[in-house]
Amino acid sequence: MKRPALLLAVALLILSFGLISYRILWLKYPVLPAAPAKVWQFSMNAFVKGGEKVTTVMIGLPSTQKGQLVVEERIHPGTLSFNLLREGPNQIGVWSGVVTQKGDVIGYSSTIQVQPQRPLKAQQPPRLGPYPKNVGESEWQLAARLVENWNPLPPAERLRRIAAALNGSWGASLPNAQDFGAWSALQNTHGRMATALVLLRAAGLPAKAVEGLLLAESVTSSTVTWIEVWTGQEWENLQPEKGEIYQKPLLLLPLTTGGLPVLRTLHGELSEVRWTLNRQIINQWRMKFEIIMRSNRWLDRWSLFRLPEEFQKTFRILMLVPIGALMICVLRNIVGFPTFGIFLPVLMALAFRNTGLAYGLGVFWGVVLIGYVVRRWIDKLRLLLVPRLSVILTLVIICITIFALLGNKFGLRQFMAVGLLPFVILTMTIERFFVIIEEAGPREGLWTAAGSAGVAVVTYGILEIEPLQLTFFVYPELLFAVAALQVLLGRYTGYRLLEIFRFRGFWRS
Amino acid sequence: MMILKTIRRFREVGVLGMNRRNAEYIMRSNPRAFFPLVDDKLKTKQLAEAHQIPTPPLYHVVEHHGDIPTLEKKLDGYHDFVIKPARGTGGSGIVLLTKHTEGDFVKQNGEVVPMKDLAYHISDILSGIYSLEGLEDRAFIEALVHPNTVFDAVTYRGVPDIRIVVYRGVPAMSMVRLPTQASDGKANLHRGAIGVGIDMAEGTTLAGVHRSGVVTHHPDTNKPVTGIRVPHWERMLLMAAKAVDMTGLDYLGVDLVIDQERGPLLLELNARPGLQIQIANQAGLLRRLELIDQAPADVFATPETRVAWVLETFSARPSSTN
Repeated sequence: MKRPALLLAVALLILSFGLISYRILWLKYPVLPAAPAKVWQFSMNAFVKGGEKVTTVMIGLPSTQKGQLVVEERIHPGTLSFNLLREGPNQIGVWSGVVTQKGDVIGYSSTIQVQPQRPLKAQQPPRLGPYPKNVGESEWQLAARLVENWNPLPPAERLRRIAAALNGSWGASLPNAQDFGAWSALQNTHGRMATALVLLRAAGLPAKAVEGLLLAESVTSSTVTWIEVWTGQEWENLQPEKGEIYQKPLLLLPLTTGGLPVLRTLHGELSEVRWTLNRQIINQWRMKFEIIMRSNRWLDRWSLFRLPEEFQKTFRILMLVPIGALMICVLRNIVGFPTFGIFLPVLMALAFRNTGLAYGLGVFWGVVLIGYVVRRWIDKLRLLLVPRLSVILTLVIICITIFALLGNKFGLRQFMAVGLLPFVILTMTIERFFVIIEEAGPREGLWTAAGSAGVAVVTYGILEIEPLQLTFFVYPELLFAVAALQVLLGRYTGYRLLEIFRFRGFWRS
Repeated sequence: MMILKTIRRFREVGVLGMNRRNAEYIMRSNPRAFFPLVDDKLKTKQLAEAHQIPTPPLYHVVEHHGDIPTLEKKLDGYHDFVIKPARGTGGSGIVLLTKHTEGDFVKQNGEVVPMKDLAYHISDILSGIYSLEGLEDRAFIEALVHPNTVFDAVTYRGVPDIRIVVYRGVPAMSMVRLPTQASDGKANLHRGAIGVGIDMAEGTTLAGVHRSGVVTHHPDTNKPVTGIRVPHWERMLLMAAKAVDMTGLDYLGVDLVIDQERGPLLLELNARPGLQIQIANQAGLLRRLELIDQAPADVFATPETRVAWVLETFSARPSSTN
């Protein structure tokens, strides 16, 4: 009985390691993946249309500054000529020339290494800049009156009060009706960014307007603006539209500072501007990737690196799901943990990638508990199976919606990400939780719940290991090895660890 | 290490674990196609009758909601009976009733049930409330068992039943399951009933298992559960041995009850019998299954030869196999 399974497992292992050896020995793949570093691949593409005159396009580009190092810059000039300019602290790419009738595509890409921020004790505090241009002296005085009460406070607290005021809540120092009217008029004529800068200047806080991107895996056609404010120790990032201070460590990528727009054109028109940011795991692997892209070897042509980049991310995770399943085999058949459903913990782990572990577990079991209470009550109504499950499903969706709305209200992004939790799984978990408690008692129910959560946490931990993601991505044949282990586990007929405790009655007498 | 020592000890005693039970016995011995025969109690019952294995007399089967209004008339002549869902699991949906006054019934625990509520309950059964997959189900009404008085001192209400694990037609291990207050008169171990091992050769009870701990006395009546001689023992072994022939399943849990007048009756069959029976018997099931596999071929000839072999071979007494 065991022989065929064993032979299959050995065959799968040989296939897996044979392919890996071939890649390492003949295709010269690196043996060990390097440690991950925070590297982002930045790229910008745009379409330029022009006329007969010389068109000039000026675009703010990321530059090496505190906390970030820009390397491997590559320019795609199209038919235009390219020049790099420095304007104050900004790095501006200038494309110029006569654009053909059809228009032209220009582009820029670079690799940005984000370095951990060192404490800036030695840094000179920045000097207070001038008031924004085109805001008159009477407005200066207005702003000074508005922030007067807060001047004795420490800088960080002053910033907090101003942020709140931008959001419309003035607290105890609500200005008189006349000032308030003038203030609203100022906001309407000069915009929130300028008025925020005026207030900060009046409060004696060095600040600068920044335009850039959120540092997250994304493709976007618009930039965001914020204000960097010096609070004596560090730069805080203020969002002037909502009066929100960004929580650290939120990563932002500044493109231009000091009110300079990121995009400027002269005698021409820019369209379809697109910024792409990709979290890159390891530089060394990027080189590997380039080699694979150019190689004509059979295995290289069939590498996952050849997939379009947006699908690669999915496969990085998918490659690890079988390991999660393997974990479940181990925890159920060797340890003996009970779980709800077989692959529920894997799906839970996938959902946790969006919400984070603590919030994910909390929301998950919160919804299950609410569902359980309702399910208990519904039991009295004696509904048929399918309508009953539908009611629970609706309840789950309502819970998720409420969580999302609460999250929005209190600024907890993780609560909004619960929408991506697998709701069908939640529904079935509620039903199974109820049945287990009814049939085998609350102890068994809680024990199964704990088992499921434990397996989900372990699986999540595995899915998040980036070197492992990459190893499987480069060597997908490792899946054969995983399958081999699964086959072997399928023929494990030994005792389960928890069975030993279950049968402890044997030696008590 | 303690764990390794325990594992070695288990191997010596021949404890059967879940993995081995599933892979080596259930998957090998029980073809999936035959499962419906044991998952549906009504089918089991009909099959048993065809093979001359006694079961509680069947009074009536309700298949459609439309049959419910005429039910009262059909139940007219019966003083007491049991209502069961054909595909119910773990004893859920089973109600034991005695006629009280005109049109009303009394449950085991003294609760009065009007005919109207009874109709509701049967309607629930038909809708599949108690069948695990939620499939539509049938309800059947059969004679209430009046248990043999031998277990009266160690039973809290309800009906005690006897589980015999049968492998390749040979009874391997058995226990009697005694209802407790916690189990609400039901004989299911996970509901809190006690399982008491039975010496296969002698038909006398051994120690009991209650919530995975060993007990010698019933928790409600405080009477000892050990040393009780089970009546009709050999007849029950024979019934269990025959039950396997009729289903085509080689690894089976056979559940029997002993009626005061009718003697042993087959209640139901289970294709995935639990492993706690080993604690109740203080003996390993694997050891016995292996002994059965090693038995000479002529042992398997007829149910009678198999039972004879059991009486000769299996005993919980330390002198023989354990």
